Amino acid sequence: MPFISQIKRQTDYNLFSSTTPIVIDNGASNFRIGWAGENDPRVIFRNIVQRPRHKTTGETVSIVGDHDTTLLKYFDCSRSGPRSAFDSNVVYQFEIMEYILDFGFDRLGANGSEIDHPVLITECILNPVQSRSKMAELLFETYGVPSVAFGVDAAFSYKYNQQHGICDKDGLAFCPGFTTTHVIPFIDGEPVYKGCSRTNIGGYHVTDYLKQLLSLKYPHHMARFTWEKVEDLKMEHCYIAPDYASEARLFQKGTKEAEEKTRCWQLPWVPPPVEEPPSEEEIARKAAIKERQGQRLREMAEAKRSSRINELENQLRGLEFLLHQLEQVEESEVQYFLRETGYVSRQEIESALAKVTQSLRKVKGEPKGEQAEAEEKTDEKYPLVSIPDNMLTPDQLREKRRQMFLKTTSDGRQRAKQKRVEEDLERERKNQLDEQKRLENPELYLGEMRVKYKELCEKVEQRKRLKTNGNHSNGNGMSGGVGRGERLNAAQRERMRLLTTAAFDRGKGEDTFGAKDEDWQLYKLMSKDNDDDDEGLDEDETELARVSSRLQEIDPTFVPKPESGPSQPAADIPRSRPLTKEDFQILLGVERFRCPEILFHPNLIGIDQAGLDEMAGVSMRRLPSKDQVLEERLTNSILMTGGSCLYPGLGERLEAGIRMIRPCGSPIKVVRALDPVLDAWRGASVYAAAVQFAQQTFSRMDYYEKGEDWLRRYQFQYTL
Amino acid sequence: MEAELINAELVLPTHFSFKRIQIYEKYPKGQPRGRWKHLKQILQAENYQNHPPDEPNYVNIESPPSMHPPMRICDITGFEAPYHDPRTNLRYANTDVFKLVRSLPNEYVQRYLALRNAAVTLK
Repeated sequence: MPFISQIKRQTDYNLFSSTTPIVIDNGASNFRIGWAGENDPRVIFRNIVQRPRHKTTGETVSIVGDHDTTLLKYFDCSRSGPRSAFDSNVVYQFEIMEYILDFGFDRLGANGSEIDHPVLITECILNPVQSRSKMAELLFETYGVPSVAFGVDAAFSYKYNQQHGICDKDGLAFCPGFTTTHVIPFIDGEPVYKGCSRTNIGGYHVTDYLKQLLSLKYPHHMARFTWEKVEDLKMEHCYIAPDYASEARLFQKGTKEAEEKTRCWQLPWVPPPVEEPPSEEEIARKAAIKERQGQRLREMAEAKRSSRINELENQLRGLEFLLHQLEQVEESEVQYFLRETGYVSRQEIESALAKVTQSLRKVKGEPKGEQAEAEEKTDEKYPLVSIPDNMLTPDQLREKRRQMFLKTTSDGRQRAKQKRVEEDLERERKNQLDEQKRLENPELYLGEMRVKYKELCEKVEQRKRLKTNGNHSNGNGMSGGVGRGERLNAAQRERMRLLTTAAFDRGKGEDTFGAKDEDWQLYKLMSKDNDDDDEGLDEDETELARVSSRLQEIDPTFVPKPESGPSQPAADIPRSRPLTKEDFQILLGVERFRCPEILFHPNLIGIDQAGLDEMAGVSMRRLPSKDQVLEERLTNSILMTGGSCLYPGLGERLEAGIRMIRPCGSPIKVVRALDPVLDAWRGASVYAAAVQFAQQTFSRMDYYEKGEDWLRRYQFQYTL
Repeated sequence: MEAELINAELVLPTHFSFKRIQIYEKYPKGQPRGRWKHLKQILQAENYQNHPPDEPNYVNIESPPSMHPPMRICDITGFEAPYHDPRTNLRYANTDVFKLVRSLPNEYVQRYLALRNAAVTLK
């Protein structure tokens, strides 16, 4: 049941006389305040303070207790976490304590010039005197309280239950709280502090353990596991197993009982909208649209082509006319004529003409008969190549060199084209073979493809992992990376080698690397090595892409595995299949009883102290008088109180544990307090309402006169 | 302040009539807040050694280490775990869990160990 805080401002403050004490139960989890003599505290809230900054005004404000998260959006809560005044169960931060007391008194309705009522406040057992004195000072100085009394909350709870007959006047009180667990023996109604024992495990540790376990098990839902939510889960689902080992075995075997015991928390999840197969008309409509678009594209292409043809024909006509004119013109006027038209010589005009005719033919779609033409032209273009060197003038030599260069380049281009054609043919042949194989034996082919795909995937991923691992180790420990030779890949090893040899090659004992310019060429070598590695990877990747595309074509059930980023091992849900409802379920199986187990075995968390059942033995051993009868009386009335004792199954487990350490046959009776959470306050309230309460308090004068030593020895007398 | 905030009375007011010294007087703005002593320092300052050892005090009543044999459970699943992995120092229950243990990245290994207070901390 989730905790609901009561913080409504009370209006009847003035109805209470000055002698009515105010009772405060100052616990590490909750702060309860109310009037003496009543059955329930008036105001209850979580004992934390937040100090966020307002987003728009920028001022820092204080917010006490747990509040509605929707209202908190006005504040920037990132820099301030919730802060508590407690360190383990002792108050140490009195500024926060002051905020909390402010809030508590304010909601109780206080409105005078000072708090004019005696105050009874609870503290932990054997509170250090510093904490006690600072608390007293705070109450006296700042709030003007006339008199103050300190008491232990577990003792109040025990006395309350004793009055109601739940437990006897001799007994043990077990008090698992929020940060600590106490065991206190009571003899004749008074707590015997010598026999107390305390273990630093409480509800806080259980919640923290559960939170960490869930975060580790479901890393992609980590944002969901807030402290409050986990506490709710703990209160609802956790229980204590009567015997841990046998419960664990149940779950390990996966029996039906274990299934029933597993609780499931379904996170809100919206399934992706299912795409309905498009209906007939949809398909028809889409096809029509596609047709129309295709038609439009074709028309546009046609139009473009015809316009280009026109243009080229015009050009052709123009050039022919020009040539014609040139023939008619006389010799002397050739130069002049040519200059006007913009062409330098007749050959140029002719070559332009030839080009235009060629492109015209290409556009019109005629076969490439000009291939032969081109070849002839090449022979014509390089007339000088065939003539040997010694017969040419220097000008002609230069000309020849140019022509040779041109020839080799065009030859190279021809060869490249040839090779490409051959490769294409090769690929075609391979594809045909593939097709044949597929048609013969589809199953086998599919199997082979899948295997090949998996292998390639693994290889690529491994390469990537090595690379990033190498990079990470490089980035982190380059200075100390000498000893990790076996992990660096080839490129990095090469780099190291180059660097070390460069450093060594220079003069003995002196590092003159960099004095000469050639030294820096070293780095060019190194980066080249890195590039080589990349290229090697590309082959595998292209092969992988090809195989995966083939598989996608032929295999309807194949889903390509996306290349997961190298630095996200478990951040996303592995999306090798579409997300299902189960991905968003949080299963609480073993955790249900594993977490409260730390109350009995604190070494599961690493805290090396005794668990609950052992603490009973410790406590009894510490008692000053070793009396068998007394011990039997103690175990005969064992009271469980405190917030963390609400787990189902705690009583039986405690009884079993204590039976193990007591002699056979001794009476053991374990009872739970009437209301473990509120009983401490109720007990304190009953006390404060009694007449003799006034003698137990100490006033301001007492505090200043008698000093610290007296304060240390001050103890509340519980039997009145 | 927005209207709904004022209505909800979320924020703690700075002035209270029943207080003799207001908080802004005690802790003026801008000055560093007092350094509060933590529990360890408080206990040290208490000087419990000077007092007679019989008298119970905060440190005395702490419970001793457990005498029972320690319970070993698997770090990941919570089952009974008789085995222990020397490389990662985690406990595991059977071979499937072992495969999982070996495939965990280092960050998760440290977090599991931190649950048991056995993580390697570099100071």
